[in-house]
Amino acid sequence: MDTKKKILLIDDDKDFLMATKLILEKGGYEVFLAEDGRSGVEMAKSVNPNLAIIDMMMETWSEGFNVVSKLRTSDSGKQIPLIMLSAVDLQGPYQSFEPPEDLPTVDLVLHKPIKADDLLKNVGMLLRE
Amino acid sequence: MIDPGVSTHILIIDDEESILDGCKQALEKSGYPVTTSSDGLAGIKLARDLKPGVVFVDLKMPNCSGMDIIEIISREMPDIVLIVITGYASIVSAVEAMKKGAYDYLPKPFTPDQLRAVTKRGIEHRLLKVEAERLREEKARMERNFITFVSHEMRSPLVTIQQYIESLKLISEGSLKPDAMQIIHRCEKRIQNLQDLIEHWLDISRIENGTFSEAKVTLNLTELIMRSLEEMNPLCQRREIFLESRLKDNLPVIMGDQESLLRVFSNIIGNATKYTPPGGTITVCSDCDDYYVYVSVSDSGQGIPQDKLPFIFEPFFRVHGKQERQKGSGLGLTFSKKIMDAHNATIEAASKEGEGTTFTMKFPRVYDL
Repeated sequence: MDTKKKILLIDDDKDFLMATKLILEKGGYEVFLAEDGRSGVEMAKSVNPNLAIIDMMMETWSEGFNVVSKLRTSDSGKQIPLIMLSAVDLQGPYQSFEPPEDLPTVDLVLHKPIKADDLLKNVGMLLRE
Repeated sequence: MIDPGVSTHILIIDDEESILDGCKQALEKSGYPVTTSSDGLAGIKLARDLKPGVVFVDLKMPNCSGMDIIEIISREMPDIVLIVITGYASIVSAVEAMKKGAYDYLPKPFTPDQLRAVTKRGIEHRLLKVEAERLREEKARMERNFITFVSHEMRSPLVTIQQYIESLKLISEGSLKPDAMQIIHRCEKRIQNLQDLIEHWLDISRIENGTFSEAKVTLNLTELIMRSLEEMNPLCQRREIFLESRLKDNLPVIMGDQESLLRVFSNIIGNATKYTPPGGTITVCSDCDDYYVYVSVSDSGQGIPQDKLPFIFEPFFRVHGKQERQKGSGLGLTFSKKIMDAHNATIEAASKEGEGTTFTMKFPRVYDL
């Protein structure tokens, strides 16, 4: 019987999805892809992933946060670990980014690009493997 | 062409009823909405309420100085085009009125055609002014957004390529020959260089358009130098270069932005490592006199030819031409110079070919007044 854990990956860059999928599959996970926030939230309902990875900047600068709050209030996303991806260093001195109020919480933020072993190590840790 | 956002309403302020009537008729015939006032103060109030495109003001009125009206309207409503109506005898005052902000003048007596010609010119001037202002705002907005846009659009593909390389390394583990792995590593290196180039370019753009955030505080440069030595030491060790320091005790404080100066020091030291052969030495010194704090970085490298020295802070300038392209972004020294300029500080290089190069940075001291 197939006991692979399921990971949902939401990012608007198709190539980034492919590249990350290859790494996660090599790590033994079943990977589901969504190219925008809305279909990501839909897909979470149908596949019930064990973990979701969400890009912060998609259609808008903070689309990722919207996705996270939708997942956090849905049955399929309430309990699972969430990883947020960001391509910029939000803590850097040169960013004028202001995060939305009532920031929904994620379990981990990773900066792109992500080293393959970092990604697998962190995913494994969050899934308590 | 008349922009719907620009008012073609004309206001005429003159004490002579016959002039008001004549002007109103002539201009309304050409399709302009016209309002008139025979009183100065009432005229200013009308200007505030109606926001006309053009206001004609008679300089000589019995109860009110036309010059004051010009001054008040041009200060309060700079968008309004002011045109002075004046007798032949007062051309001098017409010039004075233009200095106070009037755009043109119409000498009495004038024909309806002359009036219409001046009005047309005034409206066109107004259109150009409004358009120029709009373009200026648009340009400023685009410059601000451009940097944000570029930083996202340029980084994204690089990040994706790096992610592909990560997955390629993982899924091909053990199955690729060493020379193929070597190619992958070279790709990674060149992508990293490109990323550095983008970061440097963004920094410079931010300095140039004023969005580079700097927090100037009282700083002890010794601490900063120590931090950058710590940061650069692993790189020097890898390249078998000795990194040493001769720092003055109790160095006086300066005003500066910690993070950007740290990057300047690391940049200059990093630059030195590129031109210093294994076994060479890089020395960081600090010193001061009554007016300045000095930080210098000397290397025992190949040196810079005298005739190239003046150009080294220019963007993408390469002392040794194309062969150096792989060494860095080509913007590190340009960035450093701009940061130093922003600190009212200087950076200069002295060099002897075959013996080495010294970069000296000079910061003004701050005294409690």
